[in-house]
Amino acid sequence: MKKWRVVLVSVLILLLSVSVFLSGCSSKTKQESTQPQTTTQEAKNKNFKVGLVTDVGGINDHSFNQMAYEGLQRAAKELGVTVNVIQSKQMTDYVPNLTNFAQQGYNLVIAVGFMMHDAVEEVSQKFPDTKFLIIDSEVTDRPNVSSAMFKTEQVGYLVGAMAGLMEKEKVGKVKGTNIIGVVGGMQIPPVDSFIAGYQQGAKAVNPDIKILINYTNNFNDPAAGKQMALTEISQGAEIIFQVAGGTGDGVIKAAQEKNVYAIGVDADQSYLAPDHVLTSAVKRVDVATYDVIKDTLNGNFKSGIVYFDLKNEGVGIGKVNKDVPQSIIDKVNQLAQDIKDGKITVSDKVSK
Amino acid sequence: MKEVLLNPQLWAATLAMATPLALPALGGTFSERSGVVNIAMEGIMLIAAFFAVVFAHATGSAWLGLLGAMIVGLIVALIFAWAAVSLTANQIILGMAINIFASGITAYLLNTMYGFTGTPTDTPMLPTIDIPGIKNIPFLGQVLSGHSVVVYLMIIILFISDYFLFHTNLGLRLRAVGENPEAAETAGIDVIKLRYLGVALSGILSAMGGAYLSIGALNSFNPDMTSGRGYIALAAMIFGKWTPFGSFGAALLFGFATALSMQLQNTAFSKNIIMMLPYILTILALVGVGGKSVPPAADGVPYTPKK
Repeated sequence: MKKWRVVLVSVLILLLSVSVFLSGCSSKTKQESTQPQTTTQEAKNKNFKVGLVTDVGGINDHSFNQMAYEGLQRAAKELGVTVNVIQSKQMTDYVPNLTNFAQQGYNLVIAVGFMMHDAVEEVSQKFPDTKFLIIDSEVTDRPNVSSAMFKTEQVGYLVGAMAGLMEKEKVGKVKGTNIIGVVGGMQIPPVDSFIAGYQQGAKAVNPDIKILINYTNNFNDPAAGKQMALTEISQGAEIIFQVAGGTGDGVIKAAQEKNVYAIGVDADQSYLAPDHVLTSAVKRVDVATYDVIKDTLNGNFKSGIVYFDLKNEGVGIGKVNKDVPQSIIDKVNQLAQDIKDGKITVSDKVSK
Repeated sequence: MKEVLLNPQLWAATLAMATPLALPALGGTFSERSGVVNIAMEGIMLIAAFFAVVFAHATGSAWLGLLGAMIVGLIVALIFAWAAVSLTANQIILGMAINIFASGITAYLLNTMYGFTGTPTDTPMLPTIDIPGIKNIPFLGQVLSGHSVVVYLMIIILFISDYFLFHTNLGLRLRAVGENPEAAETAGIDVIKLRYLGVALSGILSAMGGAYLSIGALNSFNPDMTSGRGYIALAAMIFGKWTPFGSFGAALLFGFATALSMQLQNTAFSKNIIMMLPYILTILALVGVGGKSVPPAADGVPYTPKK
């Protein structure tokens, strides 16, 4: 019996280490140059190492972690830099994961998500020679940290206006309850900025519209997201904007089952349910990730805040459902132009 | 408040949110009644949720997805039983190890098998059932009819579980093993075999709970999508005093708290307090508000046969 226990413990330890290793390094991308002779530039790029630490949603969240990963992949392909990913399993992983890359001499470490603010502040101080990029949070007092901020209230405004116009004109699957909804992940600034814009956009085109706002308090529970959406549908909502990462998959499923519309977030989520996704409020985390990698590679790393908005196409509307009439699309495009021109300013605070 | 309580969605959501808790809670009842604390149910649910999608997509049949998930759940449970029962390993540590492993391996397999865009969108879903007769009754029809088939399977399993545990010979033996394994062995009962049975049942039922999340409520897998339901199921089982109907009742209560918090967020109350409801209830359950819960006497204690 003794011997078996030793075997058991060893097997368990092995399994655990393998699973931790696998989940961490699952996305390691080997860069193999197709050309037999590498120029010095290529060698330099290859030696430039970029590490990406995802938030707990992981790179399959159909959402911002996935977008960051896409940007990273593009950098690997087009710039030839060496890239690696660690997926955070829980919030306590942030510091060790960031430290891991910094210790291994990575040139640029990317932290995906608002929740990593404190971890980035801590780790960036310990490794002043490593450059960091944090997405969705402002770290301003470090010379080696760049913060990518998205004016998502602007795109929230546009999808809100589209929803408001759909309700006003009662087209497609909309019957005209004049109620729309939002399912948010957590009540945090990067979620609320979308919702704030959505409120203002919908009210601007349809002042009497009622907007239901609920949060599920997590980003990885699609079953709860589905029930949350069904609850809003039972309260009359006909278009539901999901700002909830992986939880939002359930929102789109609910819309599909009850034959109403959902609005996707972060990535273009039209492909998840082409008939029932009205459009998506796209946040180009991939563009931000790629741009900062490129700038850093070329020695143009900028600390402080870099803004991504409608103007520089850091945010925008995704594929629009075929049910949306051209007149509504035109109006939304006009609003987009007005925001770009500064004729409309959108607040990022949710009003009660 | 009245319109909240009269909204059929509140009660339908209660049932839908209770199902993925009730199934592992029923499973846990078998396991703990036989004397094994199976906190690996969370991990088994997650692995099963993933393999439900894999089998459903590969075969094109959600039913085979469910079956495959249950077989995978059974295999993981048997590995757990081998270590916990035959090798008398610490059940809590073992359970945690499986849970951490489950989280890592599913995330890894998801990426390697389907790439980072996630599980295929054409994965079949288990059917929903409209109950003839009840379907057309206002309110009641909206609450009870039209759920995923797993919800109704759960109700059937609930009755079978209660009958098995309290009205059959085998059920009596299973309980005896969890109360006093020495005495049971003296009476000629094979303690080890029955503990394997208890754990195996918990694995199969947890797997059904996991499959409900991935191919019952949805048709996709997300990393860590079980969100601690395996643990809440344990709390439900304790609140339900290690009985099938008690566990089901507690699962309904937790489901109700979640559904209610969803309904009430748009009212004047503070959102944050409303969202705490299910967790406050869990704590109340565990400190014994529902009356004193006495676990099976040999629950969690490994047993080495005397001969």
